[in-house]
Amino acid sequence: MNLKRLEIARLSHRFAFGPRPGEFASALDAGVSATRQKVLTVPAVDAGAALVTNPLITDLGSRPKPNTAEIIPFVTGLRNQTEQLTLWWLDRMALSDHGLTEKMTWFWHGHWATSITKVDHPLAMYKQNQTFRQYALGNFSQMSRAMVNDAALQYWLDGQTSTAKSPNENLGRELMELFVLGVNRYTEDDVKALARVLTGYQLTLSAATVLVNPKRRDTSAVTLLGQTAAYTAESASDYLVAKPDCAKFIAERLWYRFISSTEDMPANLGAVNAFASRELAPAVTSLAQDGAMANPRYSMVKSPVEWFISACRALELTPSKLNDSKQLINHLNKLGQIPFYPPNVGGWPAGEAWLSSASAQYRIAFATWLIKQSALRGLNEIPVDRRVLASADWLGVAEWSPRTQAALRNSLGNPEEFVLLALCSPEYVVSA
Amino acid sequence: MDTVTRRKFLQLTAGAVAVGAAAPLLSVDEIAAAAINRPLAAGTPIVVMVTLYGGNDGLNTVIPFADPLYYSLRPEISYKAENMLPLDAELALNPAMKGLKSLWDQKKVAIIRGVGYPNPDRSHFSSMAKWQTASPEKHINTGWLGRWIDTQAEDSMLAISLGSVLPPLFAGAKRSGSVLPLGGLVIPKGSVAANCMQLAKVSRADNSLMAAAATSMRNLFSVSTTVQPILKAPAPTPVDLPVTNGGNAGGDSNLAQQLDVVAKLIAAGSPTKVWSVSLGGFDTHANEANAQAALLGSVSDSISRFISQMKGTSRGADVTLVVYSEFGRRVVGNGSQGTDHGTSGPMFIVGDKVNGGFYGDQPSLKNLVSGDLAVTTDFRDVYATILESLLQSPVEPILGKWSGRTKFLKA
Repeated sequence: MNLKRLEIARLSHRFAFGPRPGEFASALDAGVSATRQKVLTVPAVDAGAALVTNPLITDLGSRPKPNTAEIIPFVTGLRNQTEQLTLWWLDRMALSDHGLTEKMTWFWHGHWATSITKVDHPLAMYKQNQTFRQYALGNFSQMSRAMVNDAALQYWLDGQTSTAKSPNENLGRELMELFVLGVNRYTEDDVKALARVLTGYQLTLSAATVLVNPKRRDTSAVTLLGQTAAYTAESASDYLVAKPDCAKFIAERLWYRFISSTEDMPANLGAVNAFASRELAPAVTSLAQDGAMANPRYSMVKSPVEWFISACRALELTPSKLNDSKQLINHLNKLGQIPFYPPNVGGWPAGEAWLSSASAQYRIAFATWLIKQSALRGLNEIPVDRRVLASADWLGVAEWSPRTQAALRNSLGNPEEFVLLALCSPEYVVSA
Repeated sequence: MDTVTRRKFLQLTAGAVAVGAAAPLLSVDEIAAAAINRPLAAGTPIVVMVTLYGGNDGLNTVIPFADPLYYSLRPEISYKAENMLPLDAELALNPAMKGLKSLWDQKKVAIIRGVGYPNPDRSHFSSMAKWQTASPEKHINTGWLGRWIDTQAEDSMLAISLGSVLPPLFAGAKRSGSVLPLGGLVIPKGSVAANCMQLAKVSRADNSLMAAAATSMRNLFSVSTTVQPILKAPAPTPVDLPVTNGGNAGGDSNLAQQLDVVAKLIAAGSPTKVWSVSLGGFDTHANEANAQAALLGSVSDSISRFISQMKGTSRGADVTLVVYSEFGRRVVGNGSQGTDHGTSGPMFIVGDKVNGGFYGDQPSLKNLVSGDLAVTTDFRDVYATILESLLQSPVEPILGKWSGRTKFLKA
């Protein structure tokens, strides 16, 4: 295995959404260090992302009663805006020049995993997405405060039902387990204490606004991880984020989504210390520089959205322009991953979960559908006698196995079939 | 065997499948002859795992209706005794579970009470991982049935999960179960197929995930070739349930659809010893009563329909269903007409091989363990019995040295 190709392929597919035609070859010319620098540097202007118009997402008001005249325009509005929102985000992923911001926004969506199936209102999901963007590589302490006050997350975890008289543990538990500290780094008493601190929220979901009603809030002092105080939601969030376990946990989650979902994170991983100030950029930089990036044992399965977007970039397709959007959503649904619809608060699975006999079938159907809509410029520019090997550069694949080379060679006479096999090959479905 | 008449066929499929004017007459024999060329040996036990995701509230499933504490501890979400389906002098089933109650009356249901594991974890993900890996002490990457799959000869039809994503339950170290979507598997035709088969070969250059990707492609071809003709045929008729317009009760739910596919394949002699189906939505932190009743109704109706379908086939006596969830819920309601995450819950084991009745002690409502129900049966007791008595496999390679057993099967 050529480690330079491996590392550049990983930078390209894991810290971004894969190369457009020509980008991988340029990165090889530039070398690992310059490529890493480019991947990590947020540009002042992203011309690709600027091509994507922001969606028009509005307050649709509260849900009218069933069987009324108002329900139909309301539901139609929800459906149209949800579709617009989903296509907008997919377009951003596919068209941005700088993939890392989009990749981190995607990471945070899987971290603070909130589903529109329960939230219902696209405006609340859009606002949450803007928070993910704002703090994508920013300060985690501020992000956690913002998320505690996020209408979609509050509603998703029943925050609005939690009062001093009867606290609901859902949000408090997940805040410690899934968002800030990690499982088993607190006691059941801590869960109960934090639930009391987080009481009193009331929301207007359609407008995605929250307020704290002092009459419903428990203001008494509680003991949280050994420290007794009269916390507010914000001070409790700050307190949890400042705990050493938070640095370990966020590093673990970054490791799980960027380096390996099958191998445990080494305890002395540099990203843990790099997160000391709770700034995300240094932690992500440390991860991208880590020796693990050139270690072949840390392969990753691309999630369906990652696979789809990297295919769009190689095929120069814009998700919202695909014919048609309903079919696109249907293909993503079959593979088990649609943005804004994580399966549960733990986010999407990883690794072998995406490698079933069923997903092999759906991937073939999806790729066939995409290929028909592409001019395949990236492939056609490669002379036929060089296509088998050079297609690895076009797609940002570290190396084709002899098995896949044989399949590609068989289909040299049929470009569409050639691309189908390349996109469904183990080397493209898995980031080596 | 029964011939499925055209009229019955139309009734069975109405609403689910568009039936052409020339719908053929099909007998169960013809279905069986469709594709399985190496059927499961007659009489081989078959296990169907039914996973309820989200943490089913066991206390509103098997209800201690004679205990006044049940009503006083959860006034907002307790059922009225007159609506429940009594099982004995103390316990009753949720009012929505009429189908399961009828199977209970036929002595085909074992209810194992208070099932869990030491030091209950109230996280959905950790707790479900503990149930599916059968490793409550330490996190591991293989499911208990995945480890069983590892001990068997390689066969892509051995263990099949309905859906599109592989559950950890079926992930082994060497091999995993196959995944079959409701619509079945469709393979490409012509030269693409031949080249996809080429991609499906394992290469020496593969790391383990790439090898798994290649295997998934291989399984797509082998499973599809076997099951596709069978899935086109109608499901076995439920022999002792009334056929209603638009399908039998519960026939439209996703769980019923999954069990329909399982029924077709079992009837056709599929060499599958273990199946996995699932239903989500049990995380009832708010407005629990309606949501849980609808879900339990779907579980109960789907299971009774499936058992009835099996009855009309030669495999009726071989099938055992196992129903579980990652945890029960808190005894006291949370003020949102719902309940928070709790600890132990009941398991249901259903089938002809089952010696119907209660097993394990009912957790006391008086002596709660920090507000939660005690665990009175370890799930490994149940798994060990399934492995030993149904799958006829040694327990130790899968669960380690584990001596507990729950004797819910007929001697």
